[in-house]
Amino acid sequence: MENRIDRALKGAGGIQLMTHVVAGYPSLEVNAELIRLMARCGVRLMEIQIPFTDPLADGPTIMRANQAALDVGITPGHCFELCSALSSELPDVGFMFMTYANIPFAMGMERFLHQAAASGASGVILPDLPWDETDGDYAGAARQHGLHPVMVISPDTVGPRLDAVLRRASGLLYTTLKVGITGAGSSIGQAGVDYVRNLKNKAGLPIAAGFGISRPEHVRMLSGLADVAVVGSHIINLLDREGMSGVEDFLLACGRQG
Amino acid sequence: MSRISDMLPRHFGPYGGRYVPEMLVPALEELEQGYLKYKNDPGFVAELADLYQNYCGRPTPLYFAENLTRELGGCKIYLKLEGLAHTGAHKINNALGQGLLAKRLGKTKVIAETGAGQHGLASATVAARFGMGCTIFMGEVDVRRQYPNVYAMKLLGAEVVPVTDGTRTLKDAVNATLKYWIQNLRDTHYILGSALGPFPYPVMVRDFQSVIGREVRAQILEREGRLPDHLVACVGGGSNSIGLFHPFLEERGIRFHGAEAGGRGLNPGDNAARFGSTPKVGIVQGYKSYFLQDDSGQLQNTHSVSAGLDYAGVGPELAWLYDQKMVEFAAITDVQALDAFRRLTRLEGIIPALESSHAVARAMELAPTLPRGEIMVVNISGRGDKDIFITAMELDRENWISFLESEVRHGK
Repeated sequence: MENRIDRALKGAGGIQLMTHVVAGYPSLEVNAELIRLMARCGVRLMEIQIPFTDPLADGPTIMRANQAALDVGITPGHCFELCSALSSELPDVGFMFMTYANIPFAMGMERFLHQAAASGASGVILPDLPWDETDGDYAGAARQHGLHPVMVISPDTVGPRLDAVLRRASGLLYTTLKVGITGAGSSIGQAGVDYVRNLKNKAGLPIAAGFGISRPEHVRMLSGLADVAVVGSHIINLLDREGMSGVEDFLLACGRQG
Repeated sequence: MSRISDMLPRHFGPYGGRYVPEMLVPALEELEQGYLKYKNDPGFVAELADLYQNYCGRPTPLYFAENLTRELGGCKIYLKLEGLAHTGAHKINNALGQGLLAKRLGKTKVIAETGAGQHGLASATVAARFGMGCTIFMGEVDVRRQYPNVYAMKLLGAEVVPVTDGTRTLKDAVNATLKYWIQNLRDTHYILGSALGPFPYPVMVRDFQSVIGREVRAQILEREGRLPDHLVACVGGGSNSIGLFHPFLEERGIRFHGAEAGGRGLNPGDNAARFGSTPKVGIVQGYKSYFLQDDSGQLQNTHSVSAGLDYAGVGPELAWLYDQKMVEFAAITDVQALDAFRRLTRLEGIIPALESSHAVARAMELAPTLPRGEIMVVNISGRGDKDIFITAMELDRENWISFLESEVRHGK
C-alpha cells in the first residue's frame, strides 16, 4: 500500500501545508474535531505530537500544550488511539507521530514503531534521536514498518552530516529556515532561497520548511520553493485565541496563497 | 594518574552520548574541537591555573575535622573546603574553565542554567571578569528560594530570566538555556554547570572539576602519607562528586560514596534519589543516563530542601560507575541534611551548603561504622550563607520572620 505522505505529495499542485496537534491539548475530543476541520481545509499532512515533559526543540506555546496534556493524564496509548480513529476516518491524510527520544526509548523502539504503524501513521519525527548514536539510527526500522523517518535539519547541517541524514531520510525532509526581517516585512532572502533549491536537488526528496509560520503571506514566500510549509505553534495559538473558526479562516487563506 | 588522551570519551559504557536536535550539533562540534585544542594548550592551562590560584583562592584547604572525628568515634575525617573558593562553591572551577574557553573561541556572551544559584553566580562572576554579556536561566521556584544569589547575579551585571515552564526548577532551566542557545549559537557559549548534558559537556565539566580530586590527592599524601579509604560527596547532577572521585578512580581499595537527595521520603515526587528503589535509564536533555521517570518515560517531579540536588537526572559517568558498583549511592532526607548542617556548624565552625550537608549526613552515617585507622574525605562543595533564608526558616523561624518583617517595614 502506498504511503500516504507519498500520495499526498505526488503530483500535488502548489505548496502543501503540514499542521501540528499536541495530542490531548486541549483535549482528545478537540484534537479530533480540529483534525477533521484541517482535513476539510485541504491539509493532508499532520503531525500528532505525543506530549513529553521536556520537549527540547519546542517553543513556549507547544511546550505549554505538552504540559497541559500531561497534566490531564495523556499517555502514548491515548495518542495511538487518536491516530487510529482519525486515520481510518480520513484516508487521504498522512499522519506523523512527533515526539522525543525518551518516549520510544521507554516503550522500546520496535514496539513504538509497531504501534505507530498499527494506528495508521505514515511517518515518525524524533528530533532528538540522532543517527550517530547506536540506538538513534531508527530510519531503517521505521521503513520496515512502512513509516517514513522524517528527519529534521537546519541550514547549518552540511557536509558529511547532511549526507548521512540524506542516506537515511525518506518521504519528506524537514528543514528549519532562518528568516530575516526587512523593511517590507519578513523574507527568507536570497540565501534561504538558494539553500532550499540546493537542498531539494541534493536530497531528491520533497522539502518541508518551517520557521514559525504565522501568516498566509509566509506560505506564499515558500510557494514554488518548498513542497510543504510547516504550521506548528500558530495553530495552537489560533485555537486558543479564536477557536475553530480562527483556524479555519487561517488555513483557507493559506490555501489561497499556495 | 592516567594520561590525558587526545580523544574525548563520548560515552561512559552505554551512557552519555549526544542526543540533540541536528541544529545543535554544529555548536557542540565546535565546542568539542575547541576544547580538544585548548585543554592541553600551555597558554590556556597556565592562565586557568593562575586564575584558580589568584582569583579563586585555590588550592582550597583540606581540613582535618578533629571534633567531628572524635564525636563520631570512627574513621578519621577530612573536609575539602570548596566553599572557600571564590563565590562560595566548587562551581567556579568549571565556570572559569568554560569562560576562558568561550573567550578563546571568540564568543562574546555566556548563558547558563542554575538551580541553587551557585552555578549562575559563578557564571555571572566569570562573565564580569572577562567582560562578556551574561544571561542566567533559573526556575521560578528556585528564584524564590535562592533570592540572595539572584541579587548577586544581577549585581554582577547578568540578566536573570525566571523560567516558568514545567516544574519551574533546574531541569526546566536547562531546557530554556538550550533553547536560547539554539537560537543564538554564533556569539554565545552555554556554560553548562554539571557533568551532564550532550557530549562534550560531561567530560569537559568533569575535567575542570577534577582540580578538586587532584588537590585532595596531593594534600592527603602530604598530611597522611597515603591515599584515603573513603571519598564522600553529594550528588545532584554530579559535578562536585565526579570532580572529587575522578583522579582516584583507578586506585584500588578506595570506596566512593554519593549522597543523593532523599527529600521528604520515598514516594515519587518527594525526592531526587535516582538510584533509589528502581533506577530507570532514559534519554533526556541530550544524554542517556538514569532519570526519575514514570513508565511512559515522562520525567517525574523532584523535591529536595537543597535546590542544587533537586534534579531528575544524573551525570552519565556516575551512571556507569553505579553499574560497575564503583560508587555507592545513599539517599539522605531533608531532615537528616538539616541535622548534619547544624551539627557540623557547631562542631567545626563550618557552615556547609545544604547540598554539601547531604554529604556530611552520609559521612555521619558511615564514619561510626569504620575503623579508626581509616581515612575519609568529605567534599564540602559549598558554604551555607546562600541558604540562610531556608535554614533560618527551619531552625529559627519566629526570630527570622520578625527580622524579615522589620526589614520590610524599614525598607518602606
